[in-house]
Order: sequence, then C-alpha cells, then structure tokens
Amino acid sequence: MKREIPILLTVLCGLLITWAFFSPFDASRAVNAELLAWAIVFFSAAFLLGIVNLIRISLKQIASGHPDRVYKIILLVVLFSYLSIGIAEIHGWLSPMATGTDVNGNTIMSDQVRRQWIYFRLFQPLQATMFSLLAFFIASAAFRAFRARSFEAVLLLLAGAIVMLGQVPLGDELSFGLASRWQDFLMKYINAAGQKAIIIGMALGTLATGLRIVLGIERSYLSE
Amino acid sequence: MANVTDFDRRWIFLSIAVLVVALYIAGARSAAPQNAYVQSYYDVIEALPSDSIVMLSADFDPASAAELLPMYQSTIHHLMRRNIRIINVATWPAAPPYTLAEFNRIAPQYGKLYGTDWVELGFLPGDDVAMGLIGTSVKSAFAAEDRNGEPIDSVPIMSGISDSFSGISLLITLSAGYPGILEWIAQAGGRYNIPILTGTTAVQTSDLYAFYPTQLAGFVGGATGATRYLEMVGEETADLHATRDDNQNRMMIQEWAHMLILLLIVIGNVIYFTGRGSKS
Repeated sequence: MKREIPILLTVLCGLLITWAFFSPFDASRAVNAELLAWAIVFFSAAFLLGIVNLIRISLKQIASGHPDRVYKIILLVVLFSYLSIGIAEIHGWLSPMATGTDVNGNTIMSDQVRRQWIYFRLFQPLQATMFSLLAFFIASAAFRAFRARSFEAVLLLLAGAIVMLGQVPLGDELSFGLASRWQDFLMKYINAAGQKAIIIGMALGTLATGLRIVLGIERSYLSE
Repeated sequence: MANVTDFDRRWIFLSIAVLVVALYIAGARSAAPQNAYVQSYYDVIEALPSDSIVMLSADFDPASAAELLPMYQSTIHHLMRRNIRIINVATWPAAPPYTLAEFNRIAPQYGKLYGTDWVELGFLPGDDVAMGLIGTSVKSAFAAEDRNGEPIDSVPIMSGISDSFSGISLLITLSAGYPGILEWIAQAGGRYNIPILTGTTAVQTSDLYAFYPTQLAGFVGGATGATRYLEMVGEETADLHATRDDNQNRMMIQEWAHMLILLLIVIGNVIYFTGRGSKS
C-alpha cells in the first residue's frame, strides 16, 4: 500500500488536472482551482519544513563544535529575530512608526518599519554584494577559458565578442555600427531558432514524462 | 608566461575593481542606444486606455535589483502617469518589501489611492503553480483579506476582476529567473491570451527573442534596456532623473567593462597560442 496509494493519488490528480484543462464546464474549473490551492498549501508547508530542517542541522553543528558554528549561531539569531519582529508587527504588538512624509507634508505611519529596515539595511546589501562578485569571476573565467581551440570555439568566441560589442554604444562605434546589427541578427535568428528548438523539445519531453506519470509508468518520484 | 593558469587572477580582479570604482566616482555617463524591444514595451503601455487594469508581478530579489528595480520604478511611474490601475503581485518571497516601498513613494506623487488605483496582493508561494492559480482565479489565489484587513472583494479595484484574467488588460513581470517570464508565458499568456510585457536581467534576455512579438509584446533587457526605458519615461518624470543618471553611469561602466573583458580574452588567447607554439 505504501506504493499503491501515492501512485493512485498521482494518477487521479493528473487526470483531473488534464480533464479540467480541456473541459468547458464550471465544475472542472472549480476542481482545477481546488487542486492548485492544495499545491500552494504544500509549497507553504515546504517553507516550514525547510526552516525546521535548517534549525535541526544548525543546532547539530553547533553542538558538535563544527568550525562554522559561529556562523550557525548568527544564522539562528537572525532567523528568530526577523521572525519574531515580523510576527509582532503583523499582529500589531509593536506600535507603528513614522516612515517619512507625503507630498502634503503629512507623516506616513507604517507597521512594517522594523522589517523594512532590516531588509534594506542588511539583507539587500548582503545579497547585492554576493551577486556583484560575479563580475570578477566572469572576467577571470573569460580570460582563462575562452580559447579558440577549435572551429566551434572560434564561432562561440566570435558570437560572444559581437554580442558584447553590440550591447554597448562604445563597442558599436568602434565597429562602425556593424556590431549592433550583427548582434540583432544573431539574437533574432540564430539564437531564437535554437531556443525554439530547445523549447519544443522540452515541451515534448514534459508531455511524455507527464503521460508516463499519469499512466503510472514513471515512478522515480517514489525513489524507485 | 607559458600558460594562462600561471597568471595571478588577482590582477584581473584588481583591474575590474579599479575600472568600476574610477568610472563610478567620475560619474561619467553614456546614453543607451535605440532599442526596438524597449520601444514595443513603451508603446504597449502607451496604447492602453486610461483606467485599464494591469497586473504587475515583482519576480525578483535584491541580487537582481540593480537591473530590475529601475525598470520596476519606471514602469509604476509610466502606468500611474497614464492613469492605469495596478494589481501588484509577487512570486518571489523577497520582492514585497520593494513593492511596498516603491508604491508608498510613487503613488502619492500622482495622488493615487490604495484600493482604488492600486492594490498590493503580496507574495504567493508555489512558483508556476501559483501563476496557474492566479490565472484560474486571482481572487481565490490570495488571502481573503488585503494587507489592511479589508476583504479582497470589497477593494474597489478588484470589483471588475473575475476568473481567467477577465478585467485585466495586460500582465507585466519584472523577472529575475525561475519563476518568471517563461512560466508566466506558459501559465497565463498561452492559456488565457493575455498580452505580456517583461523586464529581465541581461542573462535571461536571450531566452526572450523566441517569444517576441507573438507571445511577448515587448521586453526591457538588462541594464542597457533599463537605461533606454528610463530615458523614455524619465524625460517627464523628475523622480526618475537621479535613477536615469545612475543607470547612464552604469552604462558607461558596462561599456568599459565589456572592453576590458574582450581585451582579457585576446590576451588569454595570445598567451595560449604563444605557449603552445613555444612547446611545439
């Protein structure tokens, strides 16, 4: 039964969703909306599971004296602080604070000031910093890996150079206006044709996998 | 130097850092070139009748805010300036703080009221499933009450909205990846025939050409597209002048960074072929 019930549920949900997609009846739309709403509930529960798992792993590493235990402590402190402040603000346990003034000079009060402060003063700069490091790694990777070793590599190199030049006015000026035209041609025709082929292939693959799941042939999601 | 791996890559990091910081401090600016896809994005919004309702989906987080936030700000300005009403949603959990801050700042500039001219429905988990549910029924997809505790049905802007995007003229997504524009096209554009516009990060832009102009009516791609759109919208919007100038500064930095990377590729190849020649 450990195998049969999940397979039965999957097949049933798959058939209902497929029926709802093609059926013109209101009842099918209601079933579709209900199933999608259940899926959202599962997604939300996954967030909670993620938090519980994060706490469990972090506590385990702190207890075992892991070299990263200081970071784990910081993680848990920040997690619980933000969660507590968020819950307190949502339920109105903390008083609203002024966020500024509107065009008429009236003070704007908000009950999300503390959460917004943490978000914009801590989270935003940290995440932006992580992402901006990419510029350094891309430059280094381009220097080390972009080699004209073969005919295909030369094509890739040329296409990359044309797109980089065509993307910015200076590159376009240096190439006497050719780079932007060639870039547009590459993106509009060569790239779009390749993308369409991939998308159609993916769609057919998804359809085949969906059919296999609905028919109970594909069971890898049961770790079989 | 026989091999590129012998080269200390910290010199590359330093050269990029010096270039970016110097151009940022100098404040040098460069205008963005004409762009047909950005023009389409602008024209589609311009063609909307006043009082139309647009769904604006914030599908990004701080990692991509440098590219997408200026697009988001200018899109809100553009829509509000044209008296178009906005239903704002988010499929990325880190997006709502931006939406709150931007709407609270921009809406009063046009005298727009919460509930009548714009509404914020917040974050919906579930990625493309969430998008499918929004398409099926936007009212039942989100919580029964809005952020002020008002029942969704009693919010004036929601009165004309029903299932299958009925009442919504256009969907705009500011998309940083998954879930984003590709999922919106599959879940909303393909099923309900709602026109879609998007602003994306530069790395995602190459995916969009396959959908333009049939499934995607227009797009703003990366910092270059954002700068062009800001130049078009910002002309008449004082609030956007500083953002436009910042983006033109980023354009200049991007221009020279591209040149530096191309130079590094050339140097790398010269070292590679010289090393190979000397070995043989």
